[in-house]
Amino acid sequence: MNGIQILLITGIIIIFLYYVLKFRNALLDLIILVAFSGVGIFFILFPEKTNIIAHKLGVGRGADLLFYSCIIFFLFIILKLFARIRRLEEKLTDLVRQQAKSDAIIIEKESTSRM
Amino acid sequence: MGFIIILHMSIPINPKFVFVIVPAFNENAVINSVIEDVSKPGYTIVLVDDGSEISLLSAIKKKSIIYLRHKINLGQGAALQTGIEYALERNAEYVVTFDADGQHDANDIEKLLNPIINNKADIAFGSRFIDGSTQNMPKGRNIIIQLARIFNFLITGFFLSDAHNGMRAMNKKAATLINLKENGMAHASEILSQVKINKLRFCEVPVNIKYTVYSTKKGQNIWSSFRILFDIILNKFFK
Repeated sequence: MNGIQILLITGIIIIFLYYVLKFRNALLDLIILVAFSGVGIFFILFPEKTNIIAHKLGVGRGADLLFYSCIIFFLFIILKLFARIRRLEEKLTDLVRQQAKSDAIIIEKESTSRM
Repeated sequence: MGFIIILHMSIPINPKFVFVIVPAFNENAVINSVIEDVSKPGYTIVLVDDGSEISLLSAIKKKSIIYLRHKINLGQGAALQTGIEYALERNAEYVVTFDADGQHDANDIEKLLNPIINNKADIAFGSRFIDGSTQNMPKGRNIIIQLARIFNFLITGFFLSDAHNGMRAMNKKAATLINLKENGMAHASEILSQVKINKLRFCEVPVNIKYTVYSTKKGQNIWSSFRILFDIILNKFFK
């Protein structure tokens, strides 16, 4: 095992533990997480195996295949996050608007009255 | 109270039922004079303070207004929508939007209301390009507006003589149907799309824009137009 493998595997284990401890998850989440981490560690230990899959898909190296799929994956994540931010913004707007309307201050010349 | 102004076409309306929405963000320097100008004919003024750092209430002197304040800054589109909703809740007959930076002429409100009151249109857009009403417009500003016009045409099919003019007047029907979801500056194009979707009748009315040093500085630059473009395109895909 060389340096980069130790680094990557430690990283995956830390993320795994962090996720499990931080968010008390449903069983399904845990299974998916274990599967992903397992596959990740497997390919870190045997990187040549990715080349086999890559060749089947017509890509030269396993690392390249990973790179391409990462681009697609992250684009997808960005769009999902964007949509979520939009929804949050809408909720926030609603909240601020309702409050602004109910706290309206009506000023009649000099005197001030609240509605 | 209860007095009546006679507009050009001699249909009397009570100015109390004309709600002028003034969305403002950090306009402490000019807001008082703007409010003063607008309030002369007796319109009901709804000042929407869009989370200004210093509450605009302190800048207003002795004028009858309704003051709404967003706790945080949301954007001009959001402020307009808040004002419009509030006006409708208070039984507004006509809703006018008016920028707070002092670039509009309060006398134009009557001109804008005219086609609405006479039931010729549901919404009237102010335009700085018809009737030669512009005063000393900076060159760069003109190019941006021309591009925005073309863009509006592409997404709505309406080729107006102006784009992103803050002055509009609408009747109750239009005010009810228009529901701005764009919090930022993209609301100007959004209004146009909603006019199209709801098949509202619209017209353009010449209005003056005063390009003071202040309003030019507060206005939009080339970068904000990119942001607007970005907003509109992305939000087409994410409702």
